Amino acid sequence: MLTRKDLKNIDFLLLAAVGIIVAMSLVVLSSAAAGLADDPFYYTERQALWAGIGLGLVIITLIFDYKTLARMAPYLYLVNLALLGSVLLVGTAAKGAQRWIDLGPFAFQPSEFSKLLLIVTLAYFLARRQGRLNRLRDFLPVFLFVVPSVLLVFRQPDLGTAMVLVVIMVGMLFLAGANIAVLGSMVGAVFLALVLVLVGHFHWGLPLPLEEYQVQRLVVFLDPYADGMGGRGAGYHIIQSEVAVGSGYLWGKGLGNGSQSQLEFLPEPHTDFIFSVVGEELGFFRSAFLLAMYLIVIWRCLEAARKARDDYGALLAGGVAAMFLFHVLVNVGMTIGLMPITGIPLPLFSYGGSSMLSNLLALGLVLNVRVRSLRTMF
Amino acid sequence: MSRQLIIQRRLTWTVKILVAIFLLLTFRLAWVQLVRGQELAAQAKDIHLRDMTVQARRGMILDRNRKELAMSVSAPTVVAIPPEIKYKGAATEVARQLAEILGQDYQKIYQTVTKNGSWVYVQRKVDFARAEKIARANLPGIEIIEENQRFYPRGALGSQVLGLAGIDNQGLEGLELVYDKYLRGEPGYLQVEVDAVGREIPQATHKYILPQDGDSLVLTLDETLQYLAEQELEDLMASPTAPKRAAILAMDPRTGEILAMAMQPTFDPNKFQEYPTANRRNWVVSDTYEPGSAFKIITVTAAVAEGVVHSGEKFYDPGYIRVGRETIKCWRFPRSHGSETFAEGVANSCNPVFVTVGLRLEEKQQGLFYKYIRAFGIGSKTGIDLNGEATGQMIQEDKLRDINIATISIGQSIAVTPIQMVTMASAVANGGRLLQPHLVKEVIDGHGEVVEKIAPRVVRQVVSPEVAEQVSLLLEGVVAGGTGSGAAIEGYRVAGKTGTAQKPGPGGYQPGKYVASFLGFAPVGEPRLAVLVVIDEPQGVYFGGQIAAPIFKHFMEQGLHYLGVPPRQAESQEQAPPVAVPPVMNLPPDKAARVIRSQGLEPVLLGRGEVIVNQVPGGLSRVAPGTRVLLYLGQTGDPSEVSVPDVTGLHTRETAELLEMLGLKLEAEGSGQAVEQDPVPGTVVPKGQGVKVRFAEEETEPALGP
Repeated sequence: MLTRKDLKNIDFLLLAAVGIIVAMSLVVLSSAAAGLADDPFYYTERQALWAGIGLGLVIITLIFDYKTLARMAPYLYLVNLALLGSVLLVGTAAKGAQRWIDLGPFAFQPSEFSKLLLIVTLAYFLARRQGRLNRLRDFLPVFLFVVPSVLLVFRQPDLGTAMVLVVIMVGMLFLAGANIAVLGSMVGAVFLALVLVLVGHFHWGLPLPLEEYQVQRLVVFLDPYADGMGGRGAGYHIIQSEVAVGSGYLWGKGLGNGSQSQLEFLPEPHTDFIFSVVGEELGFFRSAFLLAMYLIVIWRCLEAARKARDDYGALLAGGVAAMFLFHVLVNVGMTIGLMPITGIPLPLFSYGGSSMLSNLLALGLVLNVRVRSLRTMF
Repeated sequence: MSRQLIIQRRLTWTVKILVAIFLLLTFRLAWVQLVRGQELAAQAKDIHLRDMTVQARRGMILDRNRKELAMSVSAPTVVAIPPEIKYKGAATEVARQLAEILGQDYQKIYQTVTKNGSWVYVQRKVDFARAEKIARANLPGIEIIEENQRFYPRGALGSQVLGLAGIDNQGLEGLELVYDKYLRGEPGYLQVEVDAVGREIPQATHKYILPQDGDSLVLTLDETLQYLAEQELEDLMASPTAPKRAAILAMDPRTGEILAMAMQPTFDPNKFQEYPTANRRNWVVSDTYEPGSAFKIITVTAAVAEGVVHSGEKFYDPGYIRVGRETIKCWRFPRSHGSETFAEGVANSCNPVFVTVGLRLEEKQQGLFYKYIRAFGIGSKTGIDLNGEATGQMIQEDKLRDINIATISIGQSIAVTPIQMVTMASAVANGGRLLQPHLVKEVIDGHGEVVEKIAPRVVRQVVSPEVAEQVSLLLEGVVAGGTGSGAAIEGYRVAGKTGTAQKPGPGGYQPGKYVASFLGFAPVGEPRLAVLVVIDEPQGVYFGGQIAAPIFKHFMEQGLHYLGVPPRQAESQEQAPPVAVPPVMNLPPDKAARVIRSQGLEPVLLGRGEVIVNQVPGGLSRVAPGTRVLLYLGQTGDPSEVSVPDVTGLHTRETAELLEMLGLKLEAEGSGQAVEQDPVPGTVVPKGQGVKVRFAEEETEPALGP
């Protein structure tokens, strides 16, 4: 249970950064999503509601020691697979993918929670193997542990989230002390294999288990005008997004004044491409400020990991950091032409209830680890 | 190495990776936003332009009573997006339905909707019934947009002021140009998308971002006063005077609002190509002339304000005056005005008197006379909301000699614009306050809500109200018993000044070429109208008092009646019992006048036409005997009958609007431009009768790809 002393350990810097990010999200949504529903504040209100519920859940979970999760890990692992499996069986499809479970007033997206559940269970799995991850043979159980979730997500299809799961695994392996040479060559080999497969696909027609548009998006960011249609094919939205961000200059065009954002040139301006709206309407300084807030969030996660009282807590916080870092890098990178379009949201910012809840719960765990960190020292 | 220590070391590494990744993101962001910002912002605009631009409906131009002077008539146009039709595999079905609705050849339509390019016109200017059928059919890859065409329903009325707008909804001249940013609105776009992103499966689709209609202008011009002024000028051009050109300017001295700005020769903006370019010039603003005696108003005002003269002071005119070694003749030379007071000198427009007081001003203080000239706005732009305004020409002050002062005192050696003159006279009429003349009263949006109001702007107080009143009285003397007696109007106090000036040319004044003018205002004390009549190069008689004053009088009289300014009434009539005004609508003018007179009332006929179309006060209202009854003449004969207009050359939509306005029914055949009609123009038919009009097909525009 919590003591008054524990409360002093609450990371207020982390909370402040999260608060600022969520506040900015609500402000930007009121502009970016104004034209998407009859009520211009529909999305803003829903997002605020989810943030409020998330905050409540964080406070409740703080009461319990995160150690409880370690004990429940095997069950949580099964829950994760069950949820992902049920999506494929009874889920609702939208925009060509089946990822939601309809719960009446809202739709629930298990893949968002699968990231959190993977971190919670893998941390337990790795904590017990810590220091014994030196040969490729030692890695195999870890792969077997992760592969079912990845495959189920990939089947939806949700390439982006599948990639996030793999990256969380690599990140946590790294923190758990896996042999650098083995881990590095493994990542390198996978990357090389991917490149070879893509080259093979484009030059010799090698068949891939992906839709052609998915393949196109993976490579077109390298040169959006070379999409075979002079920038009106797969490269179109990268170009639109870069134009949006670029035309924002130092201070932006002002909320509601971005021609790219408001005239529907940007795809998904309230979810995947919300950072383009920030760039166009708020400008460079405020966009860089938002990035700085994410930097603080992730840095505080790593701080929590450093001060954790045990390996499980450290891996928990480190896994959350890896997830956030990858999300921010890929989402922001996509809007400014650094990364392929994968459709993964900007955490705490893109509109979405499942994503907001799972991200806040993840940060709640980090707070939990931090709160209970120093107890052993007295 | 302890387990904890490994994690600590890995965490240190991770922080470095974290910082590196954020630096990378920030640098890339700075590169995109700061270095490539210019280029990408230009591209952001360009992206709209790659697709089809749909022009907004241009705002209207209305007179002060919100009667349409310029409007945009719109016609639906059918546009196809071939990639979308191809993607949906609906080419045959779309072509079949379109061919059926439009009554056109299937093969031709099929070829159009399968063309290369992101969009293509199927047919421009379709009639409304067909457009609605197509919209209801909800065909894939087919969009209906509105295309507009500028139309000036009053033809040549005020054309130099309104100006012109081009086919791409851009203002070219006049108010259309000056207020273009209000009138043009925001264009819309037909955007053709080939791919979508996020999690969508790519599909060809298109988006129509609707244009935002332009705002409308409410002018200060009054359509009726403008019409009356133009009628005066038309009569003048047809008279033996037949000048090169002529203009009438009317202003409300209390506000600076221009009520009429008429010029001859003129042009019809609906077919401006048929007129010489010179007719489109708004020369009352852009051209200068030597004002002659009308300029003496400034001389009088300055002299009275500075106290260098009083109205009873005695002068002697020998018929000329010597200034240095030169001699300036009075206009009456070789005769003379002899002994006269200053007031009589003003009434006589006696040159030696004005030269004398002009020189006295210069004697009192060097540059004093110029100070007043400049204070009246001469030598600078009035700031009227038109472009191309001239400032006029004045001799440089440091080169000014006595002889120049002397000639300027009588309105020579100085060039002014007509708008400067009427603004100056308004200042005298309005207690010495100089106002900025303006043509636009309000900007209103599509719902008639006022977006912007243009308030009267006082430039400066030139002289005190007392001085202005004294000058008004002196000028009233000009009309009451001097050179301007031709402008006198019974029942009203009119002040004014004639002007006659020889036109300067290369190497001195040109023989036989004059500018005659009359500048004045009424009623003195409570001015409602300041009017300038300018006649450029009249034939035969050229004195302002003889040719400009009567036009001034006629226009001013009709104007005051129209504005409802009551005449001064003789006291005895106030006691007489009231009489009922007989209703005389639709009677011929001579008969109507007889009926009105029979009741002891005074008929005043206004406008032209065969019958009375309106009367003020209305029929059966009770008024004092001797009251003037204003009778407006119009063309309408039997109200149940109309004369068929000439519609050839008009588009379907315009024809429909025109005929509807006249109470006739359009029986259209085909679409496009009217080429034939039955009955022929001028035929008088009962209202409600159909007019058969055959329209010729127009060529479908070629496809324009991005």
